[in-house]
Formats: sequence, C-alpha cells, structure tokens
Amino acid sequence: MRAGLDPVGRRLGVTDVIAKILKWSVLVLFLLLTFLPLLYLVISSFKTNLALQVRPFSLPVVWQVSNYVEAVKISSLPLLFLHSIIISTLATALNLLVTTMGAFALSRERFRFQNVILNLILAGVLVPIIAFMVPYFKLISAMKIYDTIWGLIITYASINVPISLYLIHGFMGSIPVELEEAGIMDGCSFWQRYAKIILPLSRLGLVTAGTFVFLFAWNEFIYALLLTSSLRARTLQLGIQFFKSQFITDYTSMYAAITLTIIPSIAVYIFFHERIIKGLTSGAVKG
Amino acid sequence: MTMKFHKHWKGIILFLLPVLVLYGMFFLYPLVFVYLVSLMKWNGVTHMAFIGLKNYIDNFRNPIFRLALGNNFIWAFSLGIVQIALAALVALILARRPKGWKVLRTVYFLPNVISKVAIAMMWLAIYNADFGMLNALLKVVGLGALETNWLGNVSTALPAVIFQEVIYIGYFMIIILAATMSIPESFYEAAQMDGATVWQQERFITLPLVRGIIVTSMTLAIAFGLRQFESTFLMTNGGPANATMVMGLQLYVDLGSLDYGHANAIGGTLIIIGAILISGIRRLFGEREETAEANQ
Repeated sequence: MRAGLDPVGRRLGVTDVIAKILKWSVLVLFLLLTFLPLLYLVISSFKTNLALQVRPFSLPVVWQVSNYVEAVKISSLPLLFLHSIIISTLATALNLLVTTMGAFALSRERFRFQNVILNLILAGVLVPIIAFMVPYFKLISAMKIYDTIWGLIITYASINVPISLYLIHGFMGSIPVELEEAGIMDGCSFWQRYAKIILPLSRLGLVTAGTFVFLFAWNEFIYALLLTSSLRARTLQLGIQFFKSQFITDYTSMYAAITLTIIPSIAVYIFFHERIIKGLTSGAVKG
Repeated sequence: MTMKFHKHWKGIILFLLPVLVLYGMFFLYPLVFVYLVSLMKWNGVTHMAFIGLKNYIDNFRNPIFRLALGNNFIWAFSLGIVQIALAALVALILARRPKGWKVLRTVYFLPNVISKVAIAMMWLAIYNADFGMLNALLKVVGLGALETNWLGNVSTALPAVIFQEVIYIGYFMIIILAATMSIPESFYEAAQMDGATVWQQERFITLPLVRGIIVTSMTLAIAFGLRQFESTFLMTNGGPANATMVMGLQLYVDLGSLDYGHANAIGGTLIIIGAILISGIRRLFGEREETAEANQ
C-alpha cells in the first residue's frame, strides 16, 4: 500500500491533514495553470473585441462564430494546414524508411566499426541543432530547395535521425534471433528479412518513433522560419506568427485562428495519448 | 564474424548508406562548417578570410551577446532546476496514486503536444497590457497596483517569457513518474513496517532510486534552455532593450545581416557550452545514462 493515508476511518493527524491539503493544492494549481489560459483563449475567441476589453471574464453574450469564418478567410489556414500535413507525413515516412534500414543493419548484423557508427549517430541527439542555422540555410539553398516543402521535409527527417535510430535500434535489438533464423532457413534474402520479418515485428517501435518525428515536424518553427520565404511552403506554425500582422487589431479573430491551430494537436493527443506517454516512458524505465 | 561480413556486405552498405548520407549532411557537415566559418570573416558571397578567434572575442566583448549569454544561463537554470523540481514534486505525488492520478497525468502533459508557437501567442494575449487576462485578473482580486506592461517592462519581460515555459512540467513529470512507479512496492511496505513516514520514504527510497532519471531530465532541460528561441522571438523579439535576448536569436539576427562569421561563432559557443554543462552535470552526479528522450 502506498496510499500514504489510511482511508478506513482512522483519525488523521494534523500533519496528515496539512500534507493532504498541500498535496491537492499543488495538483489543483497545475490543473489551473494548464487549463485556465486555454479556456481564456477559446472563450475569448467567441467574443467581440469590445466584450473582450469590457468583460474579460464573462462568457460571450452572443457567441461570435463569425470570428472563425474571419480567421479562416484572413489567415489562409486551409493551405497552411495542408502544407503542414504533407511535410509532417513525408518527413516521418522518409525518416522511418532510412532509420529502419540503418537500424536493421546495425542491430541484426555484425561487422567492423558497427558500434562506432551507432554511437556517432546517437551522439547527434545532444547537439543543439539551433546552432546549425547557417549551414542548413546554405545547404538547402545549394540544393535548390529553398522555400519548397522538400527543403523542410528532408531537414525534419534528418534532424530526427538520431532519436529515431535510438528508439528503433533498441526495439529491433530485442527481437529474438530465432524468429529471424526461421526466415533464413526458408531462404529469405537480406531484403526479405528486413521487409518480411524484422519490420513487421518492430511495428510498435515504428509507431513510437513515428509519433516523435511527426509531432516534431508539426510543431517545428525555427527552420520553417529560416528555410521558407513565401506562402509556397509555409507551415501552420510559421503561419501563426503572421497572425499578428494579418489581424492587426481584430484580436478575437486572431484567437479563433490560434484555437484552430491547436485543435488538431489536441485531437491527436486524445486518440493517441497512451501511445505517446508509453513512448516517452519506455526509455525512462529502461534507464 | 568476418564470414557474415562477407556474406551480406553489399546489403549492409546499401542499408547504411541513406542514414549515413543524411547524418553526414545534417550533422557532420554543419559541425565542420560552423567551426570552420566561425574562424573566418565572411558574408556568404565574397571570399572567406581567416581571422582566428576574432569572431569569438568580438562576441564576448559585445554587451548584447553577454546579455544573451547570461539570459541563456537564466533559462537553463529555470528549466533545469526550477522546472525539474516542480516536475519531480508532482511526479512523487502522482506516484502514490491519488484519486484521478491517471487523468491528471494525461491532462498535465496536454500542453506539451501543443506547439510552443501557439502557446506563446496565447500568453501574448494573456500578458497584453491593455486587455490581457493577467492585468484584468489582478484588478478583479484588488491587486490593480501590480498591473504593468508585462512584456514591455525591462524588469518583468524575461520572467514573463520564462514563466510560460516553466509551468508546463508535463514532459519531465511523465518521465520521472514512470521511473518512480517502477520502484517495487515491497520497498515501501518494508519501510512502513519500520515506521518510516511518507516524507522519509520519499527522501530515502524514492529520491535515491530516481536520481539517475532526474539527472537525465536536468541535462535535457538545460539543453532546452540553451536552445531557447521560439517564445522569445514571438513574444518580445529580444526586447525591450535586449532584456530578453538569447544566443539563438542573436545568431538569427547575425545571419539575417549576412554576418556569417559572428553567427557561427555563436553557434560554436552554444555547442561547446552545451557539451560542458552536460558533461559537468553528469560528472557531478556520477551518472552515465542514455538520454533517450532528447530531441530538438
């Protein structure tokens, strides 16, 4: 029993009561810090600008759905949304293709310099990639993919190579050799062992790594800012920063636009939160 | 061993090639580039001229850079010490499975899936001097005297920007919670038999056992503090009077003015400071653990 306090009617001491109060104060405080700002944003997004200033905490008298219509019209949200989906999906696919192949070779074969290569790539996890702004800018320009979705796709896929390789390599490494040997007996080639045996068995590892890469790409801002210059490849996150100049003083429509950008993240989280939390904690428990 | 190498060497090379190419392009080449160009005078167009450590010396003589450096340390401290302490506190409470702990765990993590950009824009609205929620709230509870232009005031701007990142403890809380919950129940049962209080149990059982994961979390949080960019860029753009300037933003500004030498010297400094801080913390606590969750 780690309940801490005795629930079966035993009289609680003064210190127990204080501890209980403190405990719940902390939990409620963080609940408020999490929800209040979001709630304020969403409720404000349904108000008129006048009501926002005069009665900041009351519910809107008339729910201004027109703010949302205005938001979509002004901010070209659908286009930004489309860009973000394409970029995040393709970056995730490219990243997973490359890292599963690499992880397969590095975890299911033995060869010289194997650990050197693995550790070299994994060390990339610790590099503050914000330091690479100039070289990335030069690289993407030299490749003639500046201000295209391809520039962001290859950048996002590559930045996440170390973390994905770490997660997938760990997962593939734990698959029993016997499963693979059966395949070799049946005459599976190198490629077939990867595609038909190891890859399907690593499904869960792929989901974890894929979630990481997708969320990263979806939320990334710095390189979207640096490697694009027009609406041609603008992502949702980058688009948000233009709201300030697009909506000028129409704050409540801007809040509507921000709310619209948050909804997909929350929707994904509602469906996948167990998977995301498990992915985060798998590394922690091993450590 | 060699047998296997010969048997599949073509496949191995073919499979390793893509990952090595991308890693080479986006990690090795940039690393060499940053340090090489940091020793040059270069605007990206004309010829480079080797000038030794001049860019680094210029940076450290530049009061704005020194301000940025100091602010980055404040960020690293706020996230690495304050945020981790709060995350650990909540994790220890939730690990005792109070009513609704699973829901709370899910809810506390929610802001971490929302982009920093959207969060920063939301707080921009809250801090707004004219009709923001914070000033309105202060007025309602009778603290109207404290009303201020939170992001426009030199003394409140940095704390205000840092605050809206520190309070979102979900990421580290989840990691520490998982480690705490993997401690066998029997440890606590034995301690309870011996009459240990809850406080003593946490102090002498939980904390020593989760020290490793707390050190890892601190390492990551400090790395995040050094990488600070989005919130500052969107909320204050380094102002007022450079009060919130950070190295990442200064790098971006230098890059914008085609001052590639100084920009890369900042990048090089960031990488070195990160490496020193991270290895220092690990040595200090004598831990060597994989940083699984590290991400940009």
